[in-house]
Order: sequence, then structure tokens, then C-alpha cells
Amino acid sequence: MTDAATPSEPTLHALYRDHHSWLESWLRRRMGNAWDAADLSHDTFLKVISSSQQLAELREPRAYLLTVGKRLLSSFYSRRSLEQAYLEALAQLPEDCVPSPEQRWLWLETLQALDELLDGLPGVVRRAFLLSQLDGLAYRDIAEQLDVSERTVKRYMAQAYEHCLLVDW
Amino acid sequence: MRAAPSNEEQDIVRKAAQWLALLESGDASEDDRRQLQRWRDSDSNHERAWQKAQQLRQRFSGLPSKLAMATLDRPDQARRAVLKRALGIAILAPTAWMVVRQLPIDAWRADLHTSTGEQNRWNLADGSTLRLNTASAANVDLTARRVTLIRGEMALKVPGSLPLTVQGPYGLIVVSQSEICVRLTDDSCRVQVVSGSVQLQPLQGPVLTLRAGEQISMQRSGAGAIGAFDATLPGWKDGVLSVQNQPLGDFLRELARYRPGLLRWEPELENLRVTGSFRLDSTDRILSLLAASLPLDVHSRTRFWVTLVPRQNPSPKKIA
Repeated sequence: MTDAATPSEPTLHALYRDHHSWLESWLRRRMGNAWDAADLSHDTFLKVISSSQQLAELREPRAYLLTVGKRLLSSFYSRRSLEQAYLEALAQLPEDCVPSPEQRWLWLETLQALDELLDGLPGVVRRAFLLSQLDGLAYRDIAEQLDVSERTVKRYMAQAYEHCLLVDW
Repeated sequence: MRAAPSNEEQDIVRKAAQWLALLESGDASEDDRRQLQRWRDSDSNHERAWQKAQQLRQRFSGLPSKLAMATLDRPDQARRAVLKRALGIAILAPTAWMVVRQLPIDAWRADLHTSTGEQNRWNLADGSTLRLNTASAANVDLTARRVTLIRGEMALKVPGSLPLTVQGPYGLIVVSQSEICVRLTDDSCRVQVVSGSVQLQPLQGPVLTLRAGEQISMQRSGAGAIGAFDATLPGWKDGVLSVQNQPLGDFLRELARYRPGLLRWEPELENLRVTGSFRLDSTDRILSLLAASLPLDVHSRTRFWVTLVPRQNPSPKKIA
């Protein structure tokens, strides 16, 4: 970046200078790990750079950084719990079905994207949706499995489709 | 960050989602289908939403359904969502003590270590879990199915039936579908089986089988006798130090492993007794707790140089 080339640059610089170590130590306290905290604090600033938020107009820069940082922290833990569940599921596979490393990566990446897509859906809606998408169950069978009416399943499915469409809109 | 969809767009998306759910439910009549077609034809945004809704399905195809289900519908998902709403984000963070490090999923070889006062857990690419206690180091080579404990203390859980061999200075331990704790000291290696059973090959002597709840010490000269330990007591893996009527000297020698710097005490204190479970995330607090319950004072020259001395003013408390 050249100086004065972008009008927001000096403000970003000031934001970084004034709050970077504060944010990093906040994250370190939450995460108990300096490495991950440094990574995440970096990501937070990257997110801020790429956002359309006018930095000069920020009244409470720390509150803003914290909002962005918390969101990243939450998805960091989601990813980690997903990876753990994935590893456990892989370990359950019969030995002759163990996929190649490339295949494992591809699946993991797809699963991470889908996990983010579904983030925020209520648990039961999420499950109904997964039963339909992954297991290909009919609404009637999903209703039976979840012990709800077919009408409710239809509502859950519409809710899930709407959620996913809005995330990607 | 994108601009949020307008109200009108949200309405279109909702409608497309409802159409798709209706169609999939099998309840759609011929009339419904004609209405859907009219809705799609009436506005290019309607058609776009409909196409996008259809494409969603494809994102889930091509994944092995069992694997994807176990991952996306993992049990902590619901709990996390509730916690997130009810308590805010902070509760989700592990305490400083219980750090989990995720190895890249295809790291087949790794040199792992912890510094003094640190404890880490790694999930290995084969589904096994390895934890290192304070000031420890281990090398992992999954292609050779081998874990070498270099120093300190390790817990290894191998859920699968494909064995991992743990190499220590005084012998080998073959672990599958079991969990073990291994601790190295200057001249011995203690092995505890937490669950399952393992095969031991000491440097000298025959192969031994060790079962859950059993422990053994291996030295250069061979293995000692098999003893018992209480596998249900919380331990370092839970972030605590639990003792029952232990001499203070032994307790402090154990505690010193978790503290950088010097921890010293006067010989008179050696045989005072300690009982309790102490959280290892703050060893300073453990020292304050000791001072509160035993007739001793903590003198800190710096955080890294601490001496325990008998309390000057005679205390009315009697120590059993």
C-alpha cells in the first residue's frame, strides 16, 4: 500500500497501531494460545479492510473490532469441532474404505462450506434438512424419525431452504 | 460484506423455498405445479431464486452420507447454538489450560512439544488423540505407526484397531483400541492403562499384557511389578492435580514441573500433608491455597523465584 493512495489507509494504520495488541491479548485470553490468537487478530483486521465500513466513522473502534473478532472466533471453534467430528467419522470407516488424502481434503472443504451455510439454523431444522439432503429421506420418513407431523417437516424444509438461499444471495 | 437482501428479495426467496418444500413433500397438485410455472415465468428474479434453490441440492450430493451426517449433525452442534445464544461467546473458549491443537489433517509426521506450564492435545490423522503434559515432547510418524516419547508425559488414545507403537527409552508399548498414559523420569518410564489393554515389550524380559487400571514401571533392567492405580480420579488430562494425604514435599516436586523458575521450601515443611484437587491453570493460586490451609508463608522474590517457609507467628490451627 502506498501512503495517501487510499484515503482510508491512515485510519486503518491508526486502528491497527492503537488496537492491534489489545485485540490480540483479548483473543489470547479467550483462546489460551498465542499462535491462534495472532492469526485470528490478523484475520480480524483483514476482514475490517475488506468490509465496506467507513473506518473514519467508527465511534467505538474496539467494540467494532470485537464484533468482527467474536464472529471469527465462533467460526474458528465451529471449524475445529467439525474437523474433530470428521476425523472421528473417518476413523470409523472400515479399513478398506479409507479414502485418499486428496479425497479427505475435498470432503473436508465441502463439509466446512456446508457447515457455514447451515450455521444459525435451529438444531431440529438442521437435522430434518440433512436427513433429506444426505440420506434422501422422504418427508414422511423424516416426520417419523423426528416424531413431528409432515406439515412441520415441510415448514422446516422451507425454513432451511430460505436460510441457505439468503446466505448465498 | 455484502449488502443485505432487500425485503422484496427476501419475499422472493421465501416463496421459492416454500415452493420447493411443497414439491418435495409430494403434496403438490397439478394446479400447484401450474401456479409454480406461472410464478417462475412472471419475473426473472423468481426464476433466478428457483434455480438457486434447485442448485442447493447439488451441493450435498457426492458426499458419503454417513460421513457427512456424522460431521454436520455432530452432537455438540445443538449445545453450542444454545450456549452461544444464552451465554455469549466466551463460554465456548476452552480455558487456557485445555488447549486443543489441530494438526493439519494430513500431517503424518510431526514433532510435538509443550513448554513448562503448557498442556496440549492433538488429533492425529488416523483418529487417535495425543496429549502432552507440561514440558514434554514426542515425535509422531503415522506412516511407520510409531510415536516416540522424548521427554515428559503423554496420554495416547487409539480408538481404531490398527495399532500404534509407543517407543520409550526402556521398551515398546503396542496400543490399539486403548488409552494409555506414559511418563518419563530420569531413569524410568511409568505406563498406565486407562482403558483397553496393551502389550509391553521391555528392553529385558518377556512381553507383558497390561490391562485397564494397571500400571508398571520400566527401567533399563526391565519391567517392575504390575500395580494398580485409580483410573477414575481426575488427573492432569482434566487440568487438575489430585492428591490424598500426600507429603507436601512430594506435592511441591510435582507442582514444580508446571512452574517455570524456582520453587523451594524449608525442610520442616516436607512432611506436612496435603489433600485436595487443585486446578493447574494457575499454580500461583495453588500456592495461595496452600498458604491458606497450612502453617506456611509464600515468599516471592519474583514470580520465578518462590520460597515456602514455616509461618512465623504460631498459628492456632493444628495440622493432623
